[in-house]
Amino acid sequence: MPAEFSGGPENSALTELLDLSVPADSVAIAAVVDAISETLARLEVPEQKRFEVALAVQEALANAVVHGCGNDPSKQVRCQLKSDPQGRILISVADPGPGFSPDLVHDPKRRENVYADHGRGVYLIRQLMDEVHFERSGSEIRMWKY
Amino acid sequence: MDINVRKRSQVQVIQLRGALRMGPAVDSLRQTLEEALGNGDTRIVMNLSEVPMVDSSGIGLLVRFLALIKQQGGNIKLAQPSKFAVQTLRLVGVLKLFEIFDNDDAAVESFA
Repeated sequence: MPAEFSGGPENSALTELLDLSVPADSVAIAAVVDAISETLARLEVPEQKRFEVALAVQEALANAVVHGCGNDPSKQVRCQLKSDPQGRILISVADPGPGFSPDLVHDPKRRENVYADHGRGVYLIRQLMDEVHFERSGSEIRMWKY
Repeated sequence: MDINVRKRSQVQVIQLRGALRMGPAVDSLRQTLEEALGNGDTRIVMNLSEVPMVDSSGIGLLVRFLALIKQQGGNIKLAQPSKFAVQTLRLVGVLKLFEIFDNDDAAVESFA
């Protein structure tokens, strides 16, 4: 496995499916999410798994745009999609920001948070994906779907 | 995202088509809901049958306006939410906040 993807299942043969860098804006990241969904559909990944991956990527990219890039479209976010021979999917999303501490994310299901208008993205990612690793102080997320 | 609004028996029925996610989709729905509130329309049915994805921004918008509208004695009720919309709302613990109906008619009649 390349050193850059050291977190996750042991594997020496990852196939790169997509490597996209786009401006940090909501329309651009929606296109990335759709491109990933279409790629997984072509690979005959089941609909449920495609949905879970797509939503996790949407959340990771949204975090990168809002928190990593401050909604500044002159900055770029990078998204890579890879798979291994077992059909497991690895996605990384990186932004140029200072990162954040994922341990500080609150539980959106707690009574006091249930009507909050934000704060569910990282929780959703952790629920939807099988492994989630934050790297570079949180400015890069690597997510595995088995 | 396409948003179609019609009024039936003093109830605003909002039909959404497309992903409800950060950006133009959430911005458009926010505007629609703000206009409804501004007009005093606090009885709302939202049809999510053609919404394949609701991200955390969309969820935040829905629960924020649900709270605002309930404060004014109204409600937002969901009609025919897609399988994936239901899964997502359940996953973050907000599905129980909404009344859910099999179709628009049942949701509208529930306001009577």
